[in-house]
Amino acid sequence: MSELKKIPLRQEIASTQGPAKRSNPLANVFDDLVSFCRARSMFMLHYCTGCGAIELPPAMTSRFDMERLGIQPMVTPRQADILLITGYVSIKTLKRIILTYEQMAAPKYVIGICSCTVNGGMYWQSYATAKVLKDYLPVDIYIAGCMPRPEAVIEGLQDLMDDIKSGQGNSWKRYFENYDHYLGNQQKLFGEDWQTPTDIIAEARHYDLLTENTLGEHTALLEQHQRPLEALEMRLKVKEGS
Amino acid sequence: MNISHLILELVLMPIVAFVVGLFMVLMMRKIGARLQRRIGPPLLQPLYDIIKLYSKRTQISHGMIHEMGIIMAVGGYVAAETLLPVPGMSGLADKGGVVTLAYVLMIPSLGLALGVGQCANPNGSIGISRALTAMLAYDIPFILVVFGAAYVYGTTNLAEMIAIQQQQGVSSWGIMQMPLLALAGIMTLPAIMGKQPFEIYVAPAEIATGPMVEMGGKFMGGLFVMQCFQFYTAGVLYTTLFLGGGVYWITFLPKIFLVVAIPMSIAYMFPRYRTEDVLRLMWKWPVLVGIVGLAVAML
Repeated sequence: MSELKKIPLRQEIASTQGPAKRSNPLANVFDDLVSFCRARSMFMLHYCTGCGAIELPPAMTSRFDMERLGIQPMVTPRQADILLITGYVSIKTLKRIILTYEQMAAPKYVIGICSCTVNGGMYWQSYATAKVLKDYLPVDIYIAGCMPRPEAVIEGLQDLMDDIKSGQGNSWKRYFENYDHYLGNQQKLFGEDWQTPTDIIAEARHYDLLTENTLGEHTALLEQHQRPLEALEMRLKVKEGS
Repeated sequence: MNISHLILELVLMPIVAFVVGLFMVLMMRKIGARLQRRIGPPLLQPLYDIIKLYSKRTQISHGMIHEMGIIMAVGGYVAAETLLPVPGMSGLADKGGVVTLAYVLMIPSLGLALGVGQCANPNGSIGISRALTAMLAYDIPFILVVFGAAYVYGTTNLAEMIAIQQQQGVSSWGIMQMPLLALAGIMTLPAIMGKQPFEIYVAPAEIATGPMVEMGGKFMGGLFVMQCFQFYTAGVLYTTLFLGGGVYWITFLPKIFLVVAIPMSIAYMFPRYRTEDVLRLMWKWPVLVGIVGLAVAML
């Protein structure tokens, strides 16, 4: 038991210590207001993997009612703030998760629900399962359990709210700051020619989050294989002879 | 009226509309929650949502027309608010009248169509084509009701309509003078407000919220603001035509909230109609009731 207590509950990372206070007091008030509203209004993406998804309907509907905390489901990544990963992540699913995550608008938060996202859970020996979610995406909160009950899910969401309110929920910045690390892990699973439609490096430059860890050997590999995106050809295909 | 007073009213009227509209959105969500035996969102939830959406770091724009479309959608309603007389403020109401208002109320849908068109998302295109078809469906009974009422009052001036209804108390209200037109109006209201059973153009599970599919951040925020204006406009217009308008805010506010609460209460009990069924339903029943009502009023 004493061993357990030594494990830190929260992994402290230098870049997530909350934003530095601005010198203008009015700007500080504005920042506080914005982070308060961000915490009180979270749209979660209606995209669920694995078995934990079954715990979300009771959490949303009359028994536990997430809407009183300002959490409501949204259907496209453009509109959403939270990405819930509610169960085991197969390698095929992980591709879709990464595509979805990169399309979401910052600030965005990832919540890993169920033990499968923490360490693979009962799929530990599976060859087709991505075990540790935080190797591929920055995760804000893990809610462990197999499966966690709606009370635990809501508790976890409230922890995330507290983090956002105090300006700590900045894991989305980590994805830009350490893109090389995340991309390397993704390439290990999906192969060298893995690429997504979103230009993460340009976005990192846009947000002024380009660090020495953003670029590296893996992004160099990406550049070798990267094909420019082409618009889909708009054409009606008529079968010959019909 | 001097010019500074007019400018003050033109600034104040959309702001008042926005604040009242926020509470109408809250009422909608509360009614939905209560019908589903939930507690529902806190008092300022609509405001939190809008501030959050405007403060997103990523604002994905698909081009100039995308941005202009949202401005048109919100701006159309801002213009409409200045044409709607409310207690203490009449703005441009006595210069515009219902003809201008009916024109201006079409701008938001068209602006949204422009904006969605540039997103080039197939779901958005399906959604907006359904939305414009729905507009075609409800505009016929809407125009019939509005101009029927204008015929009965003998004026297109909304401020004069209120004055006529205020002269002889409740018995001179539009709902007593032309009950069939009022009925047609209340049948059209859910479609104007885009609520169930006429919200197939949103259809979150099937076409991913249709027109809103590519909207994130401030674009979505603009649409949330537009929704506030939309509810307010529908409530105020109906109250002005049929429920005696408003002289004091204390009697005016319950009326507009009541009008908006009716479609919201029935919304959560219905699934959706398909687009062609919306068209068939709208062109059959409200139009029929409206024409009979107009004939009765003309006799």
